[in-house]
Amino acid sequence: MNLYEFEGKKIFETYGIQVPRGVVVRRGENYGDAYQQLDVKEVVVKAQTLSGKRGKSGGITFASSKEETEVCCEKLFNTDIRGQYIAAIRIEEKLVIAEEHYLSITYDTNKRRPVLIYSAQGGMDIEDVPEEKIVKQWIDIRSESVGSDIPFANELWQVFLKEDTRLVEINPLVKTVDGVWIAADAKIAIDDDAFFRHEEWKTFEPRSMMGRLPTERENQAKKIDEGEAYYRGTAGKYIEMDGDIALILNGGGASIANMDALIQLGLKPANYTEYSGNPPREKVRALTEVVLSKPGIRGLWMCGVVANFTNMKETFLGVIDVLDELKPTYPIVVRRDGPESAEAIRLVRECAARNHLNLKIFNKDVSMTESAHVLANMVR
Amino acid sequence: MSILLQENTKVLIQGMTGKEGQKAARAMIEYGTSVLCGVTPGKGGQEVETKPVFNSVKEAFAQFPEISVSVIYVPPFAAKAAVLEAIEAGVALINIFVERMPIQDTAYCLAAARERNIRILGPSSLGCMVPGVARIGVIGGPKQQADQIFQSGSVGIISRSGGMTNELSWQIRNAGMGQSTAVHVGGDLLVGTTYADLLRLFEKDDQTKAVIIFGEHGGSYEFEIVELIERGEFTKPLAMYIGGKFANSLPEGVNIGHAGAIVERGKGAREKEQALSRVGVMIAERYEDLATCIQTYV
Repeated sequence: MNLYEFEGKKIFETYGIQVPRGVVVRRGENYGDAYQQLDVKEVVVKAQTLSGKRGKSGGITFASSKEETEVCCEKLFNTDIRGQYIAAIRIEEKLVIAEEHYLSITYDTNKRRPVLIYSAQGGMDIEDVPEEKIVKQWIDIRSESVGSDIPFANELWQVFLKEDTRLVEINPLVKTVDGVWIAADAKIAIDDDAFFRHEEWKTFEPRSMMGRLPTERENQAKKIDEGEAYYRGTAGKYIEMDGDIALILNGGGASIANMDALIQLGLKPANYTEYSGNPPREKVRALTEVVLSKPGIRGLWMCGVVANFTNMKETFLGVIDVLDELKPTYPIVVRRDGPESAEAIRLVRECAARNHLNLKIFNKDVSMTESAHVLANMVR
Repeated sequence: MSILLQENTKVLIQGMTGKEGQKAARAMIEYGTSVLCGVTPGKGGQEVETKPVFNSVKEAFAQFPEISVSVIYVPPFAAKAAVLEAIEAGVALINIFVERMPIQDTAYCLAAARERNIRILGPSSLGCMVPGVARIGVIGGPKQQADQIFQSGSVGIISRSGGMTNELSWQIRNAGMGQSTAVHVGGDLLVGTTYADLLRLFEKDDQTKAVIIFGEHGGSYEFEIVELIERGEFTKPLAMYIGGKFANSLPEGVNIGHAGAIVERGKGAREKEQALSRVGVMIAERYEDLATCIQTYV
C-alpha cells in the first residue's frame, strides 16, 4: 500500500528526518485558518495523491497570503491530477532551496537485496537522471546501519526496516541556503503482508491505486481475507471496473492471462477478481456475493486452471450458495478442473437445473481461452 | 536426468502437522517421493502418514542426516524462523510454500541462504515435479490427476503461477508430449530461484530439449532471461507467454495478479515480449500456443 506524503512525513519525523513544517487540510475545512496556524508568509500547497507526477500535473502550487491559500486549496481540490483522487492538501513552509538531491531505498529484485539509490541531481524522476550521476549501494538486509555520508541515509534505512516498507523515497532531498537538509517530499510503500506486526496500520484511511476512492464493494471484499485465517486461501481480491462481464477467476497468473483473453474478444470486465490457494466455502461465498452485487451484469465467467490443491467442491459450494439465492438470468460459463472436480461439476449442473440457469460448464478438455469464446457467443 | 530432484531426494516437511502440511505429505508420499519426517515445534513424537514428527530441524537431522530438501508449510508469521532453521541445518534445497510472507523476511532468508550456498524455491511456490520420479509440494494435485497431466518427456516448464504450472503441463501432455521438470518459482516480488537460474540448469540437462515459461507483467525477472541468452548461457528453444497486457491501461503502482505483478513503467507485458523476442525467444499470443511453438523441437 502506498502512503500519502503527509503520512510519510509523519513517519520520517519520528526517525529524525527533518521535514518542512506543515498543516494538513481536508476538503471543505477552513484553509485560511490552517495558513495562519502555520505562521509563515510563503507556503507551498500540495495535493495529497497516491501517484507521483503531481508537480507536472498542477498538483503543487504556491501562496503568500491567507486569501491566496484559500483560493489555491479551493482550486486544487477541483484539479484533475491524472485522474488521481485528492485525499487532502498539505500546506507547508516554502523552503529556500540551494540544492535538490535524490535518495531512496527499495528492493533490487535481480540482486535480491535492498539497494540505496542516491543522486546529487534530484527533483525529477530518477529514471530521467543519467546513469553516471546515480550512486547505488547494495545493503545486507541484516545490517543495522548503512555506512554512508549521504544525509539521512541511516535514518531512511531505519524507516525501511522498522516500518516494513518496499520503498522509501525522498525526492527532492533539499539542502537549504542555510545548509540544512530537509525531506521536501516523502514516498513510502508499505508491505501489506507485514500487517501482523503493525497494529498502527489499522488507522490508515482506505485507499485505492485506481485513482479514486475504493468502492463499497472493494472495501467489502477486502474484509474477506482479514482475521485469523487470513492466509488460508486468498479470496479478497476485487477491483471494480467499468464493464458488464462479471468475473470470478482463479490464480494470480491465470487470472491476468484470462483478463487479456476476455478483452481481446471485445468483452469488458465488470471487475477483476481471483481466489486462490484453498479458501473455505464461506470466503468464496462472500466474494461471489460482492462480484454479483454489481448492477448491469450481462454475463458471468468463472474460469480457472486445472487446480493443484484448491478443492473444487468446497469452493464451488460457496458460488452455488449465491447462485441459489440470486438465480441470475444472464449467461454463465464455467471452466475449471482439479481435486474433486467430477463432484463439483455435478453440483453446479444440479444448481443450474433447479434454478433454470443459462449455464455451461467445462473441465480441462476445453481450454480457458476456448471457454471465453463460448461466453462471447452466448452474450452476443 | 531432470533438474532439482532425483530419485534419492529425501524430504523433510516443516509444519507437517498443519492442514496444508498434511496434504503435502500425502501428495508427496503417494507420488513416490521419499518423505522422511516432519517438524512442528511442540508436536514432537506425533506421526503424520506414519512419518515421525520432531520438535526441531536439528532433532530431525540427528535421526535423518540424509535429508536433502525441506518444504515449508507454516503460517506466514512463522516462516522466517522456520526457513532459518533449515538453513542452519544446511539443507541443500528449501521450498517455501508459504504465501504472504513479508518481503523483509524473504530478503533475510535469501541473504542467509546465499552465504551457505543453499537454494531457495519460493516463497509462494507450490514446488516442483519430475514426472515418474518425485515431486516436492503439491504440483499436479491428487496422484490420479497428476498422472493424467504429467508424463516423463523433454519439455522443461517454469511458471510464476502455480495454477499455470499445472495448466501448461496439461497443454503439453494434451499435445502428446511430456515434461522433464515443471517448476513453480512463485509470484512474489522477491523469489529465491528465478527463471534465469532454472534455465541454466535446463541448459545442462540432457533430457530437456525445449523450455516453456509463463511470465507476467511487473518485476524484472524476465529481463534476466534476455541477458542470459545474450551471454550465450542458454541456447535451447524457448517459448514464452507473458500475461497482463491489459494492465498497461491501469495507473502505475496498481498491483493486479501476484504480489510481484505491479504496474510499472518499462516492465509491462508487451515491453517484456519485445525484449525477449529480440533475442530469439518464441512469443505465444495465447498460453495454449506454447505447446505448438516448441512441438517441432522435441
